[in-house]
Amino acid sequence: MPAENIKYRDIVSDGLWGNNPIFRQILGICSALAVTNLVLNTLVMCIALALTTALSSMTISMLRKWTPRNIRMMVQTLLIAFYVIIFDLALKAYWPEMSKNLGPYVGLIITNCIVMGRCEAYGNTNPAIPSFIDGLFNGLGYSFMLLIISVIREILGMGSILGIPVPYFSSTMWDKWIIMVMPPGAFFVLAIMIWICRSIKPAAKEAK
Amino acid sequence: MKKKSFFPVLYMFVITAVCSAALIALSNITRPRVEANQRLEFEKAVLSVLPIDIDLEKTPGLEIHKTFIEKISNPDSAGGAYILTKDNQILAYAIPVAGKGFWAPIKGIIGISADRRTLTGISFYEQSETPGLGAEISKPQFSDQFKIKNNRVLAETDKPLRIVRPGTELEKNYIYAVTGATQTSTRLEKLINDDILKWQASIGSGGNK
Repeated sequence: MPAENIKYRDIVSDGLWGNNPIFRQILGICSALAVTNLVLNTLVMCIALALTTALSSMTISMLRKWTPRNIRMMVQTLLIAFYVIIFDLALKAYWPEMSKNLGPYVGLIITNCIVMGRCEAYGNTNPAIPSFIDGLFNGLGYSFMLLIISVIREILGMGSILGIPVPYFSSTMWDKWIIMVMPPGAFFVLAIMIWICRSIKPAAKEAK
Repeated sequence: MKKKSFFPVLYMFVITAVCSAALIALSNITRPRVEANQRLEFEKAVLSVLPIDIDLEKTPGLEIHKTFIEKISNPDSAGGAYILTKDNQILAYAIPVAGKGFWAPIKGIIGISADRRTLTGISFYEQSETPGLGAEISKPQFSDQFKIKNNRVLAETDKPLRIVRPGTELEKNYIYAVTGATQTSTRLEKLINDDILKWQASIGSGGNK
């Protein structure tokens, strides 16, 4: 929970680990299942999500003194959509190959619970710069979990990382796990990751 | 009290107007680029299925566009296909095919040589199939099967092309599907066959030109 005096170290460590969106808050699971079968797609998606969360949380925070409480959610949705469309347009114009790869997923960032979750939980009540940091590191916390999942899925399912064949796994010795490429594979890996991360959490807290 | 209920509406209106204006401006600025990208994507797809010696990976976009203008034409007599000619002889056809995919439309180009039966390649310039599964249709592992060296032909029966389970004994009109992408494969098979039948009907069976 945010302290009275803003401590950036806490914001950073909370976003990455202590209050990690994936295994603590269980937010953004839908996209964690959808985009993690290829590492490159995951990477671009994560950058987009981290930036969107950071920027929209910051904007919400800047407007928080004027925004009437009863319509704040409408304003949040609008601003999130605004940033996502900017990102989508930029990809279409300057990186068409990636835009093609990600297809509808970029637009679906709008519906990612993490973005609105952070705007509502943090940006709404805190100053602009901490909100930006909070959004960014929550996005990065989401990213590192997703990257781990996608690396596992791509190796087991396709025998490669970032499209580059991994020795053993790409050879005929390894029978590729088709299920890893399909959505059910994500369920298994995600559940195992949540289990592992939640079990090692106490140790990490003591170290701090 | 009156003022309070009025303010949120105005506030929302102003914010929406500001955001929309910014997005409209941005989309206007990027539109030429986006359209050029789409156009290039299409031209690349056409060139890639025809027997032309050009490295589409390394050649800059402008050069690709020039090559396309120079070599490819789209006359009425070709029934909607793009043709590659040399000394007034048709070398190959590039037929646009489109239809329903699993998530969204699939649009692609299929190359057929002058005999109107042998496949010379396939390329997709628009598809939103599942990454890692259906989307693998645009990867060489799948699309290379359509290349001329594999000598795949369209059968003349009512099922011209078949996409079958890998491991099936291959016939000349069979292509191996992507494992796990059953929906994409059946839809792809249908859209290719539909559009090719249509093309064959419109171009007629007479003559070589």
